[in-house]
Amino acid sequence: MPSDSPAPVVRHEALNRDHFLLTLESARIAREARAGQFVMIQTRAGSDPLLRRPMSIYRVLPGRRGLIQILYKVVGTGTRYLSQQPRGALLGTLGPLGNGFRLPEPGTRPVLVAGGIGIAIFPFLAEALRKGRGPSPVLLYGGRSKRDLVALDFFRSRRIPVRLATEDGSTGTRGFVTRLLETLLAARKAADHLELFVCGPTPMLKAVGAVATGAGVACQLALESQMPCGIGVCLGCVVPCPGDARGPLFRRVCTEGPIFRASEVAL
Amino acid sequence: MTPARRSDGATDLRVQLGPLRLKNPVVAASGTFGYGAEFRPYLDLNDLGGFVTKGLSLLPRRGNAPPRTCETASGMLNAIGLANVGVEAFLAEKLPALRGCGTAVIANVFGETQDEYVAVARRLNGAPGLDAIELNLSCPNTEKGGLAFGVSPPVIREVVGAVRRAAPDLPLIVKLTPNITDVAVAATAAKEGGADILSLVNTFLGMAIDLKTRRPVLDNVVGGLSGPAIKPLALYMVQRVRSAVDLPIMGMGGIANCRDALEFIVAGSAAVQVGTLNFVDPGATTRLVREIDAWCRGEGVRAVRDLTGTLRLPAGTTPGPAAV
Ligand SMILES: Cc1cc2nc3c(=O)[nH]c(=O)nc-3n(C[C@H](O)[C@H](O)[C@H](O)COP(=O)(O)OP(=O)(O)OC[C@H]3O[C@@H](n4cnc5c(N)ncnc54)[C@H](O)[C@@H]3O)c2cc1C
Ligand SMILES: Cc1cc2nc3c(=O)[nH]c(=O)nc-3n(C[C@H](O)[C@H](O)[C@H](O)COP(=O)(O)O)c2cc1C
Ligand code: FES
Repeated sequence: MPSDSPAPVVRHEALNRDHFLLTLESARIAREARAGQFVMIQTRAGSDPLLRRPMSIYRVLPGRRGLIQILYKVVGTGTRYLSQQPRGALLGTLGPLGNGFRLPEPGTRPVLVAGGIGIAIFPFLAEALRKGRGPSPVLLYGGRSKRDLVALDFFRSRRIPVRLATEDGSTGTRGFVTRLLETLLAARKAADHLELFVCGPTPMLKAVGAVATGAGVACQLALESQMPCGIGVCLGCVVPCPGDARGPLFRRVCTEGPIFRASEVAL
Repeated sequence: MTPARRSDGATDLRVQLGPLRLKNPVVAASGTFGYGAEFRPYLDLNDLGGFVTKGLSLLPRRGNAPPRTCETASGMLNAIGLANVGVEAFLAEKLPALRGCGTAVIANVFGETQDEYVAVARRLNGAPGLDAIELNLSCPNTEKGGLAFGVSPPVIREVVGAVRRAAPDLPLIVKLTPNITDVAVAATAAKEGGADILSLVNTFLGMAIDLKTRRPVLDNVVGGLSGPAIKPLALYMVQRVRSAVDLPIMGMGGIANCRDALEFIVAGSAAVQVGTLNFVDPGATTRLVREIDAWCRGEGVRAVRDLTGTLRLPAGTTPGPAAV
């Protein structure tokens, strides 16, 4: 069951100019969280910004203390205020929220597909996959340029193969992450069972979902949305889903997601 | 409902609004509290004065296409499109789950036609465990070219009167829209139609623009503004209605803390509703109850009902919109 309490900032590191790794102490969230879930976090006291911001749980650290980590990028007011929170500050933290990833069937090879800050959802999943002892994952990771690619050490130190793509060609393949995916799909053997786990901006989710559907590969998408409440009551965060003659159905990203199968949503 | 606990020194938090008795003056507002059960992880419903359900229509509604919300300076815009499970599912699934919750359950009702308001109210009349209905008059009237019900005094009188007859057993709260020149005119019409209680305000119409695309942020173009940004506007309207109409008031609009709630009470509210704050802090309502209790003790106020309408206006103030 989710809970809401002020969580102390235990560490707060700048990874580069606009990416930060935040460590919070929250024993309850650490105990209950599953990969793919998120928290709603207060970025500053008072009414500006008014609403909390949704952030994926990057990792639950081992140990008794109950530490969780958030990896985020400064994109606007709320994330900027968040980046100024010092060690010891108390941040209202509500979670764990959302459905989380479904772990793949035994024998299925997981392919993690990240776009930009979408990488933040995957370390927790990689650790869950490792505990599940199935085939180890590969990571396809795209960003605008080299500077947007963070957390590589996490994957490399765990011997997870990483393939990179940048739009400006500053590292890895030049182009979108879908190019890496197409290469991977073309090279796979007929007997290979793959499942894609995808997180990134909506246009990227749409493109990857289409590639996966075309190739007949199972695919889970982690969606983004404006989330005023995070707990299913404001009905603000909905995503259109295949409907009927009367039009699309709308489902709440916060409680029915944020993870959906590609076939479940009409992005 | 169980009476408020009373020990030596504790404030008497009970309030009475016409036929509706509440154990304390803090009520969660429609559209911000789901159907109640969603908040069980964060608070004890038993500690609340009451809560209002998401607006209920005759048939389930899917609502508007996204984006449906947008944060603005100290507030937010929403254009949810009145998505809800419909009155039948509410009665079959949501209301039974609230049995014994210990707080007043108020059903928010809307329709696109007067007949729809009446049909929903008739279904709710006599439902076990339901304490009152609240009519949302901000809904567009499809028979009158999409103008909101709540902006026309004759339409208000008629729809309130029809609902009054369709649900004679339930206290009737009429929720006023602020998107009108003089809210007191709407309040008077609601009283003439047979309202027991007035609640105000609903959200203010507004919009936001994405400069990069030069498009409205909301798919619906316009939305309703709520949150701290609207508090001074709402507080004025409560004072205005209090000075014009003799009916108990549930005031709301941007309440973010105990002092805000107390200001609404001083301005003339017998109880307050808390909306957007539930998104920011899901445990906020019951904390407000404790803080109001503590404030009253500190100030030597024995019963919170004694504060209602204690606003001291300067001598010679005429009720009504004045030059500023
Ligand atoms: C379930 C979920 C998990 C998330 N996890 C992470 C995470 O782990 N790390 C991380 O850095 N970010 C994450 N995000 C995105 C993050 O919530 C937004 O970046 C943040 O809310 C922006 O707040 P802000 O006040 O800084 O930006 P604002 O000032 O509100 O907006 C700045 C710009 O960002 C855009 N924007 C704002 N919110 C969102 C959003 N939710 N989705 C897409 N665009 C948005 C705005 O349109 C605007 O262009 C997640 C979002 C969701 C829904
Ligand atoms: C997302 C959202 C949905 C709402 N839905 C309804 C509704 O269904 N019926 C209604 O009468 N008011 C609805 N309201 C209005 C609130 O009940 C309240 O009148 C308004 O938000 C002002 O109070 P606040 O500033 O405390 O939020 C909604 C408000 C929000 C923010
Ligand atoms: S964020 Fe409020 S319902 Fe999803």
